Amino acid sequence: MKQSPNDAHLDAVLRSSALVAGGFMGDDPRRVMEVVDADAGALFGLGVTTAQVAQRLKEITERATRGLGTWVEIDEQYEAMVDEARGLLPCPWPHEGYYPKRVTTLKVVASGRTFRWSDLNIHMIEAHGFFEGKGSAFRIEPAEIVGILF
Amino acid sequence: MIVSTLIAVLVVSSIGAALAALLALSESYIANYGECRITINDERELTVQGGKDLLSMLTAEKIFIPSACGGRATCGLCKLKVLEGAGPILPTEEPYLDEKERASNVRLSCQVKVKGDLRISIPQELFAIREYRARCTRIVDLTHDIKLFRLELAEPGTMDYVPGQYVQLLAPKYEKNSEEVYRAYSIASDPAQRDVIELIIRLVPGGICTTYCFEYLKEGDEVRMNGPYGEFHLSDTDAPMVFIAGGSGMAPIRCILHHMKNTNSRRKAVYFFGANEVREMFMMDEMHRFESELPDFRFVPVIAKSDASEAWDGETGLVTDAVQRGLQNASEYEAYLCGSPGMIDASIKVLLDLGVKDTGIFYDKFA
Amino acid sequence: MSVGTEIMQACIVAISAVFTQNILLAYFLGLCPFIGVSREIKAAFGLGLAVIFVLTCTVLLNWIAYHYVLVPLHLEFFRFILFIIIIAAFVQFVEMVIERYSPFLYQQLGVFLPLITVNCAILGAALFMVIRDYSFIVTIGWGLGSGTGWFLAIMAMAGIRQRLAHDRIPRGLQGPGVTLIIAGLMSLAFIGFAGVLQGQ
Repeated sequence: MKQSPNDAHLDAVLRSSALVAGGFMGDDPRRVMEVVDADAGALFGLGVTTAQVAQRLKEITERATRGLGTWVEIDEQYEAMVDEARGLLPCPWPHEGYYPKRVTTLKVVASGRTFRWSDLNIHMIEAHGFFEGKGSAFRIEPAEIVGILF
Repeated sequence: MIVSTLIAVLVVSSIGAALAALLALSESYIANYGECRITINDERELTVQGGKDLLSMLTAEKIFIPSACGGRATCGLCKLKVLEGAGPILPTEEPYLDEKERASNVRLSCQVKVKGDLRISIPQELFAIREYRARCTRIVDLTHDIKLFRLELAEPGTMDYVPGQYVQLLAPKYEKNSEEVYRAYSIASDPAQRDVIELIIRLVPGGICTTYCFEYLKEGDEVRMNGPYGEFHLSDTDAPMVFIAGGSGMAPIRCILHHMKNTNSRRKAVYFFGANEVREMFMMDEMHRFESELPDFRFVPVIAKSDASEAWDGETGLVTDAVQRGLQNASEYEAYLCGSPGMIDASIKVLLDLGVKDTGIFYDKFA
Repeated sequence: MSVGTEIMQACIVAISAVFTQNILLAYFLGLCPFIGVSREIKAAFGLGLAVIFVLTCTVLLNWIAYHYVLVPLHLEFFRFILFIIIIAAFVQFVEMVIERYSPFLYQQLGVFLPLITVNCAILGAALFMVIRDYSFIVTIGWGLGSGTGWFLAIMAMAGIRQRLAHDRIPRGLQGPGVTLIIAGLMSLAFIGFAGVLQGQ
């Protein structure tokens, strides 16, 4: 089925490793719009909007940044740490905006399970509803993260 | 019957051929831009075949404009002033140019197509930049996610740089990476050895270049880089200095310390090095050596949380707290910071509170 | 026929091409890019404008080629091949000219031009022009009308899909599935226009 050239170009950029190693789609065979649709459906079922998810992620990143790279306690059950690398990443979508390469790692103290996101992830979730493709190193499963954030 | 068939075939073929000829002619006329003159800084002139973008034209003439994305309008580093001949701003450039830049004719040189004569302005520093080929002769593990890479320059054989500057290392195509990209790393080596560049690199999850360096680059491999770039360097004064840098941020500081030793600098200096845990400390021996070799240098490692299992009797807590505790007569000091924007902002706040003059704070922000 | 009557007829043909005989919603031509590109209004707008331009110009070029080359030589049966060659060459030429003289237009519309070459509404419009034996002036109305009709249909679809973007659609119907259902409903609605014009 034909895609608009913009969608096709977006798909190509997300799959290439022009911005991050391995691209944003992991080994997901679906098109980016299908991924966004499926995750939107999951969020709708959980009764949460992308804006709310992004807000909570931003809050945690904010608090963890004050630790200057050390683990910071969040809400008793979690710890978070922020790492930042040199450079800025543009968003793969065609619009203005650079995002620092700041990665927040959230650890569930009890189980040791970790979740990871970057500033760019927060933006892509908030503005484009994109949680990255399955198999991508930075994919966040909406179902799992909603349980943690709310 | 045969005749009419032949006529039919002939007619349609000739119409097709005529259209094809028309298109070919139009292509050579419309899409051909002929020779174009590019005037640089009103002194140097290049004559090139039009049709390609400005960035690749300049690179072909050995003038290196910083670029990390290879002309795909995703990094915004290739900004240049195009005074005449650029045409209207393209949608692909818009995200990267603010009001002031648009007013002063700043453009993304990878998006400006050379279709006619151009007048451009290139800052003088960019002319000192060259492309280098080097061989990686040693890779040293410093911590679980930081390595030191020793690169011996092959061609050109030496690099002249100011301690504190950085190079752009080329990450070639490899399994997970389909494009070549450049990434910036501060030079960490002894500036007296002009034929060697050492880089201290930390593995970034999802990082194109760091993944290449950690998983694919081996001793003996050839690498390419260009440089030197950057404005971070020691001042000319005699003021005492405080360095604040953690992790791979140590790179330019180490380079500066070597330089101080080489020039017999007598300036007072203290270096606050922050890390999460003891195992993230590295190059302690070298720092202690600097303490004995330099007349007035103190190294202060700061661990965030010390495990009971590891013996640590040094400073603990956030590095900014250690600075607050440990810096006397702060107003006389100059500060040199290298690290993430978060750490730099926090450090600047503490330094200003302590009385350091804001004109005396220099930093190499990662971003 | 006098020029005045022809212009009248051109207007009638144009209006009917937009509403009662919409080339997309009544004849289902040009469905592929319609479904693929109607996700966003911005993309639909660009493609729709490009279709109006290309359709009108090529249907006129095809009229000239048909009546002055094929008919005198009794080669009417070649019209399929010839029309396609003309459409492809025209689009190629336009892309070249736009790229050279207007980089801005090229960025907005240029990306759609290759997509249009194989849009069957373009070929369909030329073939209808032959079947219904339109004169040159009427063909102008026909070209503009059917292009605008296609534009209207894709813009309406984009608007509807953008409204639906955050709604929950059953998994199997997401994307092309629900789009075809919507297209069917739109066609039904457009049937309501039948009888608006006398004798159409």
